Amino acid sequence: MIKIENVKKYYKERCVLDIESLTVEQGETLAILGANGSGKTTLLRILAGLLKADEGSFELPAPVLYLPQQSYAFAGNLVRNVLMGTKAAAGEAEQLLDSMGLGALKEKKAASLSGGELQRLALCRLLIRPAKVLLLDEPTAACDAQGTALIAEALADYQQKEGCSILLSTHEKEFATACAHHSITLRDGKIEKEQEEVC
Amino acid sequence: MKKVLAIGLALVMLLSFAACGGKKEEATTAQSTTAAAPANAVIRLSTTTSVNDSGLLPYLLPVFEKETGYKVEVQSAGTGAAIQKAEDGNADLILVHAKQSEEEFLAKGFGVERLPFMYNYFVIVGPKDDPAGIKDCKDAASAFAKIQASGSKFVSRGDDSGTHKAELKIWGEGKAPDPAKADWYISAGKGMGDCLTMANEMGAYCLTDKATFLSMQKDLKLDILLEKGEDMKNTYSLIAVNPEKVDGVNEEGAKALIDWMLGDEASKLIADYGQEEYGVSLFTLLEK
Amino acid sequence: MESVKQAFELLFSLDKELFQIIGVTMRMSFFSTLISCLIGLPLGALLGTKRFKGKSFILKIVHTLMGLPPVVAGLFVYALFTHYGPLGQLNMLFTVRVMVVAQCILITPVVIGLSASIVRDRSKPVIETARGMGLSNTKVLGLCLRESRASLLSVVLNAFGRSIAEVGAVSIVGGNIQWKTRVMTTAIMLETNKGRFSFALALGLILLMIAFIVNILASFIVKEPADD
Repeated sequence: MIKIENVKKYYKERCVLDIESLTVEQGETLAILGANGSGKTTLLRILAGLLKADEGSFELPAPVLYLPQQSYAFAGNLVRNVLMGTKAAAGEAEQLLDSMGLGALKEKKAASLSGGELQRLALCRLLIRPAKVLLLDEPTAACDAQGTALIAEALADYQQKEGCSILLSTHEKEFATACAHHSITLRDGKIEKEQEEVC
Repeated sequence: MKKVLAIGLALVMLLSFAACGGKKEEATTAQSTTAAAPANAVIRLSTTTSVNDSGLLPYLLPVFEKETGYKVEVQSAGTGAAIQKAEDGNADLILVHAKQSEEEFLAKGFGVERLPFMYNYFVIVGPKDDPAGIKDCKDAASAFAKIQASGSKFVSRGDDSGTHKAELKIWGEGKAPDPAKADWYISAGKGMGDCLTMANEMGAYCLTDKATFLSMQKDLKLDILLEKGEDMKNTYSLIAVNPEKVDGVNEEGAKALIDWMLGDEASKLIADYGQEEYGVSLFTLLEK
Repeated sequence: MESVKQAFELLFSLDKELFQIIGVTMRMSFFSTLISCLIGLPLGALLGTKRFKGKSFILKIVHTLMGLPPVVAGLFVYALFTHYGPLGQLNMLFTVRVMVVAQCILITPVVIGLSASIVRDRSKPVIETARGMGLSNTKVLGLCLRESRASLLSVVLNAFGRSIAEVGAVSIVGGNIQWKTRVMTTAIMLETNKGRFSFALALGLILLMIAFIVNILASFIVKEPADD
């Protein structure tokens, strides 16, 4: 279970994040909606431990994985990218790449991928590891409809296998509807709307 | 914070300006008391490091400059380089101490005349306890033989300098140890001061001119173990560069400096040099 | 022109002493570069990626040391290893090893300073991504170094170039002893002092050729892993 209480973040004098209370049950997916600059990325980075909150507290089970908004291609081919820092077998990585529609490209250098392909590769890099919490910052921003569908499917499989909670920020209502159980909408750092159903 | 830095920087700059200004002033006042400068006032003297290190030139030249208005630029290097610089047209006269090289220089037509004017003795210095027992040798050749036999370390200049050439001459033609095989024989390839420091570190023997050794003695744990052997005499000569062979030579300046060096006043100064500091004369004038 | 001819003649004459000098030069430069990079690259990566108190002060010290005159480094090492100095017992003065020590003092700050700025410029997305993957701090640091590998190679080559071209410090602590601690630069200085200017220049050309060959080899090394 993820529990957030009174988490605040300031840039200079301006309060960019102010979450009074938010809970996500284990095994559930929360979609975070909202305009640019509404605090989605800040919230996810704080939960990922990349940013310190100025006030408040939160608790979440380990391990936590985080997908940054900008995908980065490590040196080497796709398989090597996916296996980076894990002891997983190459076959497992290839299977994962296949499920994301990247199987044919597995020997290619990661740096040669298109934006949408790279984003799916970045997700593969996370999904090969175990996690109790998955934090995804606009995981489909660079993908077309087909890519988005593949991601939604892969996330569902992973959640079933790991029983993890997923927090994802997105602009795409359809994607949110497809894979999230609940949603919140942020505005100026505050929760404007909290919905049991997505949209 | 930035303000403080800016003020600090400004202060540093101001100080450096002030320092420059001070120097300039000093220079002008110094000039005002010297004689009127000759047309071509710069004399380029190429000499060996050992002459320069001994402190003789800094002692003599200001007197000459003040009297004549010339400005002497001293370049010091090993004998080989000192002579080469003159052959390349970068000096007006040379002051060196390697008879054979000097004669070659003359034979090639670069020099006007070789004027030997003073001498001193090389000395052999070494560890105070003298492990090779050279103290009672009558000349350098027998001392070298004892050092070789005992396997004590010996630091050689190894740089083709006048001192190095003198050392090779003492070993005898082709008899100098081969530094590739004899690990006790250290060919340093450096100046006199560096070699003495090295000998000091290693507890080694070294052939040196006395002046350089005395000037460094207080920092060294080495003693003079042998001096004044017949084969240790070290003669210094002045040679003006031949203006007919080399372009751009300050012929008059070179002549003025040579005349002054061989004159009575300089002779007296040279004879006195070292008395005050070490209680001995470092150079002896040759009979004219 | 005379020097160019002389340089090739020297090389092809297979002069034993010349190759011994080249050997000492390479040994000294190799170990100086190796050690200073082993120390400097991780520290540079640390300074380039981490935020901590006193970091800007440390960077200022590093940048100051980057401008340390070689002679001063030489004197410092000399004072340490001189017979009656604090490390005199080691009996290391006038050896290649102590030359490496002096070189490391000179080069390590350069490696730290340059690699810190390279890693800093490239590391932000690497860190976000790698930490997001749950990798340990050491692994993240290693990845930062790996990802800026091509630029870091130029740092390594810079370090090597400095150590092969250095003369002031190695002359003081090495002593330019024939068959032992004489390297290309001190040999060039010696020949210059001897007045054999064109021979000295020929040695300089050989030194340049060595540096050129090393650069070419290095460019092969960096190309290879990028292709896998």
